[in-house]
Formats: sequence, structure tokens, C-alpha cells
Amino acid sequence: MSAQEQEFAQVLRAVAERRPSLALETLDLAFLIALRVRGHGAQLASFSEVQLVDVFEQVCALIEPAAEQRKKRATYALARLREQRLLVRVDGHGVVRSGEYALTRLASGIVDFYLDEDVLTRESLTLLSATLRSSLQQIVDAAQGCERGDDASWSERVKGPLQVTVAELIAGIERRQRGLDGRQEEFQLEIRRLLEASWFEAIERCQSLLEATGATLRELNEILLRDSSVLLALLHDIEELAANSGATEAEQAALQVVDQVDRIVAWGGSRQRAWSEYFQYVHRYLRDVVRLDPTRALTQRLREQLSGNGRRFSLTVAGAPPIRLLRVVQPLAERPPVSRPRAQREREPAPDRGIDPEAVLTARVRSALDDGAASLADVTDRVNAEVDEAERFAMAGRVAQTTARIARAHAERERPWVQAGGEIEIEDWRLERARSGDEPGSSGG
Amino acid sequence: MSVDKGFAQLEDVIADADFPALDLALRRGRHVDREDGGWYVLLLEAQDHLEAFYRRYGCELVHKADGYFYLLPSGEQLPRRQLLAVDMLVGQALALLYLDPASIERGGLVAREQVIEQLVAALGSDALIGALLPRRKRQDEQVAQRLVRAKIGESIRRLAGLGFAELGAEEQIRLRPALLRFAEPVRGMAEPAEALAQLVAQGEVTLADALGEPSDETSAGELESPLEPELPEPYESDEDDDEANA
Repeated sequence: MSAQEQEFAQVLRAVAERRPSLALETLDLAFLIALRVRGHGAQLASFSEVQLVDVFEQVCALIEPAAEQRKKRATYALARLREQRLLVRVDGHGVVRSGEYALTRLASGIVDFYLDEDVLTRESLTLLSATLRSSLQQIVDAAQGCERGDDASWSERVKGPLQVTVAELIAGIERRQRGLDGRQEEFQLEIRRLLEASWFEAIERCQSLLEATGATLRELNEILLRDSSVLLALLHDIEELAANSGATEAEQAALQVVDQVDRIVAWGGSRQRAWSEYFQYVHRYLRDVVRLDPTRALTQRLREQLSGNGRRFSLTVAGAPPIRLLRVVQPLAERPPVSRPRAQREREPAPDRGIDPEAVLTARVRSALDDGAASLADVTDRVNAEVDEAERFAMAGRVAQTTARIARAHAERERPWVQAGGEIEIEDWRLERARSGDEPGSSGG
Repeated sequence: MSVDKGFAQLEDVIADADFPALDLALRRGRHVDREDGGWYVLLLEAQDHLEAFYRRYGCELVHKADGYFYLLPSGEQLPRRQLLAVDMLVGQALALLYLDPASIERGGLVAREQVIEQLVAALGSDALIGALLPRRKRQDEQVAQRLVRAKIGESIRRLAGLGFAELGAEEQIRLRPALLRFAEPVRGMAEPAEALAQLVAQGEVTLADALGEPSDETSAGELESPLEPELPEPYESDEDDDEANA
């Protein structure tokens, strides 16, 4: 999983853990909208409980006039909206006195969607763009005054304004763009309704609507293209100043704003292309279908034709077969026939003359004795010097046995314990070379 | 016209980079409209030269006022074929959708379900199944419906290959002006029978009687068309199962 996918999954998991859900009926939505409208009208930032109940009763009277027990319903509605974090208590007095409530950001977003106030227009875009330009210019000036290493200044005078003021202004443009998208959908529906209602008479109205919307989009796109270059140049200046002063966070904030500006410019281009296609389609429809069939008889006649009235027919089309390109034939290479291998698989056993450890030990003991070893401890020490430490204990016994066979051992009544190399101690013998006839194999042992 | 646009001679047209692909597409029955961009512009600019060029092959390069071109063979030099009965039904349903103001809300985009709904509304379910599956003796309703949907899907794909529509994502179909060819017999003020006779005389259409009642299984077009796909019949086994169960 890539880092981006991981981040995506993490965000979803975090949201799912909080188990958010929304369930709003028309009455709830109307209540929220009424609160917003009332709040704007009376310049209210929050509402008392009495005001909330009052507004709810008015909404109820309009939308559900037959509803009874309105106060009780208002109490339930308030609880429901608070649970869903659409209303929040802002006074903090708890049970001491009745509360003050305000709409949350979530509620404002929902109300904005339904009120559809924020649609991008030439005026709003020009104003937002000019404000944005002026804010960015101020940030450039501030960035020029910030010292290298003065992180507090960079954060307060550059990063903060970029992340709050500028980002909010751009988000305002994006919100209005979404509003315009919604407006266009409605507009396309309106053209359909106009044609369905009055067909031929609707041509003029449809054309004027098409041209007006096309002109608006064109104008907006022109403003976006023109202003975006200025905005991007200012952002580039900020980014450069931040990079030169090592203010990484401010540089990142500038880059994020650059992405946002790129996005709003791309929106303009894509909407204009989509509109251009739609514009051409509707114009063609008006010209080829509506104008040529003012009484809308064609649809009816075609439906009758499809239903099977009249003689059946079939359209003629050109039907040249596709060109056949024959592939070059590659002769298959001949494979050798399958046969059994003739080599002798079974091999004759060969004698394996491995090392006889006993002969090796005898040779070593004999060599030690030849070198003048006069005691068992001496022989054991010399033989064990060539053996791994783990095997020395066992080897000491074998050395004693072999030595006894090869040499003649003399032992005192009380044999002394003597160190035989390393950590091994043995009861020692004095040794004397045996005669040749006493050696292993030459006697019964 | 073509001289003004830079094609002084036929040689210039043939030397155009778009010509080979356009020529092959026209010879295979493709209808070319404004949405084909470069091809349409080339046809408009070189119309005089190309009309004379294709006439030598016994074909007419037709340019309709609705804004599309196609090649209509009249002689024997270039093969021609008739659309299958199923394609004719689906083509007329698409043409009805093209005329419907509802389709302009989405810029001429319709869903495959809308085409099926249109056919059911015009013919009724039973007649539609009967028309598309004429040879099936015993039809399990579910199996037949599935088969009809598959046949309609295949037909839309064939019509898209001829430039009557364009297939988009998620079974969306973009309707194109060449669909108005399906409405030609009922377009003018004349009686449909009279208009049809005229179209037959022009070689634009062939009457089904003359083809020996073409269905999607017996049409001459199907025999002639090398592009005709074999519709998979996974449902036979279902039928066999039914019989076994019975």
C-alpha cells in the first residue's frame, strides 16, 4: 500500500471511529434555515432557548400546520440537532441558567447549500481576487522584513496569514465555484423543461440562456487566467524569500496556496470546455431537431414506426471487410524424439579407505613416547594438544588404554593426580617403552 | 470550396495524414460527424474531390444537412450490407432518445437502461422478446430477458462502431446526429410508404421483405458482416437444467 493510500485509509478509519451520521427531516432543515435567516436579520450571534422555541413554532406553523404539542416537539428537535452537532451551547452556564445556542459550522454549511447564496459571479470573483492580491502583497512585504532564523516572525507574519486569510479567501472562491456548478445543473434542467413545455417557442429563450451562461463562464475564466498569473507571481516571491531564509514551514504554506490557485484555474478551464460541448450540442439540437420539426410530429411518427406500423426496412451501409494481414509463417523447429538415456545409472561399489581413528591415536601416542614422554600425563598432554577441547576428556581414557598397550606402565601404590594439559587431571603412571613383541596385535593384550 | 481550403488536387487530399484511417472507416460503414474533429473537417474541405473519388468505386459520399457524412455503395465494387433487425430496432430507439428534450439535459448522454425502457414502451416486453429471440421455442422469462438485454448491448456496440453513438464509461451512450438516418422515412411531409419507396430507390434502405424477413439470425447483413460478433449463449445450459429438473 502506498503512503497516499495509507493516509487515505487512516483518514477514513478516523472518521469511522467517530461513527458520524446525520438524519434530518424537512422540518429540521427548515428550522436551521430559519435560524440562519433570523440571525442575519436581527444581527444575532446566538439564540436563547426562548428564541429557539419561538422560531421552531413559526416554522412548524408554516410547514406542518396540523402539528400539535409544538413546544414538546421543539425540545426534541433541539436535542436532536445538538446530538448531531448542528447546534452548540455557547454560554457555558450549565444548569445555572437557560442557555444560549449558535449554529455550528456544519449547520452553516448545510444551510448555505440550500440557500445557494454563494455563486461565483463576475463581481464576487473580481472582489475576492483583488482582496487576495492585496493580502499576498502585504505578506510579501512582511516576508521581506523577516530575518533569517527568526522563526516566530515567519510564523506570525507569513505562515499564519497564508494559512488563514489567504486560504479562506481561496476557499471562498472554490465554494462559489461549486455554487455555480449547481446553478448550471439547474440551468440545464430549465432548458429541458422549456423545450418540453413549449418546444418551438422556447428556442429564443433557450438561446439567450445559453449565450448568457456561456458569456458568464467565459468572463470568469478570463478573470481567473488574468489574476492567477499575478497571484502565482506573488506566491512565488513569498516561496523564494522563505526558501532563502530557511523558513521551511512558510515555504510549505506558500506551496499549498499555489496548489489551491492552480485548482481554481483548472476549474475554470474544465467548466468552459464542458460548457462548450453542451452549448454545441444544444445548438445543434435546436437547429436540427426543433427548427426542422416545429410541430413535434417527428417524434410521434418515429414512435409509430418503431411500434411496427408500416413496412420494415433496413439501412444500407458500406461493408468493406477489414484488410487481412497474413502473418509470416515460422516453421516449427523439429524436436528430438523422446528416448531413454543409455548411460549406466547403477555404479559399481568402490572400496572407501577412510581414516582409522584408532591407528591415528596409536601413531600419536607412539610419537609422544618416541619424543621422550615418560609419564601418562605427558603423553595425554601431547595427544590432547591436537584434539578439540570438547573431546579431551574422552580422549584421555583412550590415550591411557593405548599407552598401556604400547608402553609398560609403572604405578605407585598411591598414584598421584597430575594435570594433563588444560583442565584434565589424571592418576599418573610412569612409562617405559615396551618391547616390540608387547605391542598391540603382537600379544593377546 | 476545396481549392480555397488548400486541397488543390485529389493528390493533396490523399496525402493528408488523416486520410487513410478516414477512408478505411468510411468503407466499413462509419458515419462521420462534427464530433470526429479532424475527419469531419477533412471531409468538408475535400468534399468535391472525395465525391468524385468515391464515385469511381460506385459509391456516393453523402453529406446530410444534420451534419454528418457516410458512404453509400450503389454498384458492386464496394461491398455493402444491411443493418440487422435488432440494430434497426435499437437504432430507432436511440433516435427517439436523441429527439427527446430530456436527453439534452445531459448533453446527449443516455444510459443503456433508457434504451431498453424506450424499446419496451414502444413494443411491449413480449413483442420485444419475440422480435429479438424469434427462434426460441420455450423461453424462461428471466433467461429471455437476460438474453434480450445482452442482444441490445451488442447492438449498441455495433451501432457505436458505425458512428451512430459513442460508448462512454459505466454503460453511458452519447447520441450522435447520424441517428436521424433511422428517422428518414418519417421525416418529410410525405406519407411514410412514399418516403420509404423513395429511399429504396436511392439505395439508402432495403425493405425487409426483399431480404427475406431478416432477423438477427437470418439477415443477409449478418452473413456479409465480418465484424458480426457471435453472441455467447451461456443460457442454454440453464434451459437444459430446467429440462432436467422437469
